[in-house]
Amino acid sequence: MATPNRGETVQKQIQQDWVNREYIEIITISIKKITDFLNSFDLSCRSKLAGLNEKLTTLERKIDYLEACVTKGETLT
Amino acid sequence: MPLPKRVIEPIHITRGTLPEDYPLPSELEGVTNGSLANTVRQLSSLSRHAEDLFGELARDAQQLYDRSNSLQARIDRLAIKVTQLDSTVEEVSLQDIHTRKAFKSSVVFDQQIFSRATMPTAMLETYTTCDRPPPLDKLNCYRDDGKDGLKFYTDPNYFFELWRQEMLNDTERMMHDRGKKPHRPRGGGGGGSVVDGGQVNRHKKRVRQPHSTRERQKQIAREHGEHIMPQNTIYRTPQQLQQQSQMQPHLPPEDLAMIPHQQILPRPPRPNSIEIRRSYQQEVTDGIPSSPTYDENPYQHGMYGQGPLSSESLYAGGTPTRGGKIRPSQPPPAPPSNNSTPSSNTPTRNRGASAGRDNLPPPPPPPEATMSPPPSNGILARVANDSPHSRTATPEPSEHLPPPPPVKQASPPPVVAAPPPPPPPPPMPAMPNGDLVKMLESSLPKLTPVKDRPMAKPPAVDPRNDLLKAIRDGIKLRKVEKIEQKEVERGGNGLHDVASILARRVAVEFSDSDSGSESEDSEGWGENETSA
Repeated sequence: MATPNRGETVQKQIQQDWVNREYIEIITISIKKITDFLNSFDLSCRSKLAGLNEKLTTLERKIDYLEACVTKGETLT
Repeated sequence: MPLPKRVIEPIHITRGTLPEDYPLPSELEGVTNGSLANTVRQLSSLSRHAEDLFGELARDAQQLYDRSNSLQARIDRLAIKVTQLDSTVEEVSLQDIHTRKAFKSSVVFDQQIFSRATMPTAMLETYTTCDRPPPLDKLNCYRDDGKDGLKFYTDPNYFFELWRQEMLNDTERMMHDRGKKPHRPRGGGGGGSVVDGGQVNRHKKRVRQPHSTRERQKQIAREHGEHIMPQNTIYRTPQQLQQQSQMQPHLPPEDLAMIPHQQILPRPPRPNSIEIRRSYQQEVTDGIPSSPTYDENPYQHGMYGQGPLSSESLYAGGTPTRGGKIRPSQPPPAPPSNNSTPSSNTPTRNRGASAGRDNLPPPPPPPEATMSPPPSNGILARVANDSPHSRTATPEPSEHLPPPPPVKQASPPPVVAAPPPPPPPPPMPAMPNGDLVKMLESSLPKLTPVKDRPMAKPPAVDPRNDLLKAIRDGIKLRKVEKIEQKEVERGGNGLHDVASILARRVAVEFSDSDSGSESEDSEGWGENETSA
C-alpha cells in the first residue's frame, strides 16, 4: 500500500519538477532574448548616432568655414 | 579574452540554491524556488543594465540634438546674412582683403578617449571589482631617484609617455636640423618617403640615417622590380668623372656627359648602361607623347619666366634628363650634404626610373606623370623641355656645373616654385594649415582649441615638471576614483595632450616644407613610386 503510494508521489514530484524546469527555462530564454534585443538595439543606435555625429561634425566645420567667408568687418582686429 | 561590458548577475541560476543547514520537505521545490528567485535577480540586473544603456543612448542623442539645434541656428543666421550680401553694393577693396583675418578653424580634437572619465559605468563597476595594485607608492619615500615606485608595477600612461617623448624629441631635432638647413635640406622627408609611402609623416622624418635609408630604398626599389644603381651614394666630382670616363671608354661622349649627373659608381657597370638606355627611352617618350601634358603645367612658365635662371638654364642646358631631375637636389655641394642628397635624389631618380619603366608600354605614361604632385611635375616638365638641349649640349658645361656657385642660384627657383602649389588641390588645404601653424608659432595660445592648453603652453620648462608631477599625483589619486582628481589630472595633461603635440609637430613640418621647398616634392615622388 505504502510503496505504490510513495512511488506515485515521487513520480508526481518529478513531473512537477519538470514542469517547473520548463517554466524556468522559458523565463531564461526570454531573458536571453531581451538581452539580445537590447544588445542589438544598443549597437544599431550607437552606429546611427555615430553616423549622425560625423555628419554633424562635417556640417559644423562647413558652417565654420562659411561663416568665416561671409563675415567681414567683425573679425577685423 | 573579451571583456564584457555588462554582466547580468547571477549567471548560474540553479546552483547553490539548496540550503545545506536544514533539511527541506521537498528538495525539488526548494531548487525550483531558488532558481526562480535567481531568475528574478537576473531580470532585475537586466533591467538595471537596460536603464543604463538607454540612459547612455538618451544622453548621446540629447547631445546630438543640442548640437544640431545650435547648428540650425547658425545656418539660419548664415542664410539671413547671405541674403543680405550684395555684390553690387559692397565693394571689396584690396586693402580690406589684406586686413581680413585669416580663417582659423577651431577644431577640437578628441583625445584621451579611453580614460577613466569616458569609461562606461558598467565597465567601471567591473573595474572596481579588480584587485588594487600593491601600494608600492608607499615606498616612494625610500627611493633616491624620485621615481614613482608604482610605475614600475603599472603605468597607464606608459605608452603615451613613450610616444610623447619620441614626438617631442623628433620635433626638437627637426627644428635643430632646420637650424643648419643649408647642409641637409630635406633629407628626412625624401629619404623616409621612399621607405614606405604608407607610413605616417613622423616616421618619414624620423629616418635619418643615410645608410639604412639607402639600403631600404634599394630594397624597396628592387621589390618594385627596378634596377638600382648605387650611383646616388657618392657625389661625383669632375675629377671622378674623368676617372669614370677612363673606366668606361666604350660609352659615347654624350653618355659621358651624362655620367657626372647620374653619379655613377664604377662598381656595377652593367646597370649603369641599362639605366642610361632607360633614360634615353624616357627622353624619347617624354618628347613625343608626354610633353604636352607637361606643358600644361603652370609652373613651367613660372620657372621660365624667372630672370635669375641664366645660370640655371645653362645648368639645365648641359644637363641631361636624369641629371636635370636630380639637379634641384644637387645644390648642396658640400660633402656632408651627401647625407641628405641621396635620400632626396633617390625619389626623383626612382621616379624617373619608374616613369621610364612606365613609358615602356606606350599608353600609360601621361596619366602616371600627371598624377605626380605639381612641384615635381614642374621639375619634370622643365626636364622634359630641357632634354632636347641636353642632347646638343657639350660635355664641358656639364663639367662646370657641379661647383658650388650654381647651387645657390639653383636652389631659389624651387623656393619660388613653392608658392604655385596652391592652384592644384592637394597643397591648397595645406596652406591654411601652414598659416595656422605659423600663427601657432608666433603666438602659441592662439591656436589652442583644446581648453586646457593655454595655461599649459606658454610656460617654459619648469612648469613642465610641475605638470608631470600633477600627472603623477593624478595617477596616484585616480585609484581612489575622485572626480576632482581626475579633473586635475586632465588639466595637468595640457601640454602633453595629443593635439598640442601634433599641432606643434605639424607646425614644424610645415615650416620645414615651406623653407625646404621640396620636401613635399620628394614625398610626392615617394608616393608615386610606391604606387607605381
